Amino acid sequence: MLLVPCPHCGPRNSADMSYQGEASSRPDPSSTTPTEWREYLYMKHNPAGWLRENWYCSSGCRRFFTVERHTVTSEFREPPLPGSKTPRPTGDGADPARGAP
Amino acid sequence: MADQPQFRSSVTNPVATPAGAPALTDESSLTKVSVRARVGASPLGVDFTRTDRRDGVLIAGIRPDEWLLLGAGAGVEALLAGTEFDGSVNRIDVTHSRLCLRLSGVCSASALEKVCSLDFDDTMFPDGATGSASVAKVSSDLIRDDQDGEPSYLILADRSFGQYLYDAIHDTTTEFSSAWPSS
Ligand SMILES: [Zn+2]
Repeated sequence: MLLVPCPHCGPRNSADMSYQGEASSRPDPSSTTPTEWREYLYMKHNPAGWLRENWYCSSGCRRFFTVERHTVTSEFREPPLPGSKTPRPTGDGADPARGAP
Repeated sequence: MADQPQFRSSVTNPVATPAGAPALTDESSLTKVSVRARVGASPLGVDFTRTDRRDGVLIAGIRPDEWLLLGAGAGVEALLAGTEFDGSVNRIDVTHSRLCLRLSGVCSASALEKVCSLDFDDTMFPDGATGSASVAKVSSDLIRDDQDGEPSYLILADRSFGQYLYDAIHDTTTEFSSAWPSS
């Protein structure tokens, strides 16, 4: 069982959540190129390490949140505070898979 | 609020739980009004995960931006009429779309834990607490509303799950019956 730290509900069984995939910034549709758009839609980083990802608390608070998970150990970093859009900096030097939102 | 059509519960066969087991009752006919506001607002003065009872109406903070009012129709209407709301607040009568079951009795937490992953220990889910989680794989809102000193839980879900959810929770109570195991 995976315990996902929802910023509102606390640690919850992942069965109460819906995985929304890697967190990445969406290019501006009015100015992006087809290549950039395709990369945004389909080309995931899939690292063996820390990954910023989106979750939806579907059976709990019904809110989306972003959290960092280690894809090898499934360890979660400290969850973001309610209302914040990015995870708290952890200061251990490990890079999330994607840049700033 | 407009005139209400006659209420029909989606629990069509509410079989009583066995003697000694937690009691399961269908309270779907209670008037239920959902109040939604922005996250961080507190239009009714009740925090997320907490409840309050005013003039017979139970106010439950079921989500960071949603509150549920449960009670008799006139009481809910009077409470809403007497509350001044600031900013953008939605009020939707969900009486006919939400199912409401009540599970009461000393072993009700142990019974619920068989179909729900929340921790119902008194320290984690005391009287007046609310939570949302899957109950028998149905997304539900749970409210602890003790009655006569005994633990009691309200379980709210979409009305279409009525009889299924009733049967699933009923099933969890049987082992707490004074007649179990039967010979
Ligand atoms: Zn949540």
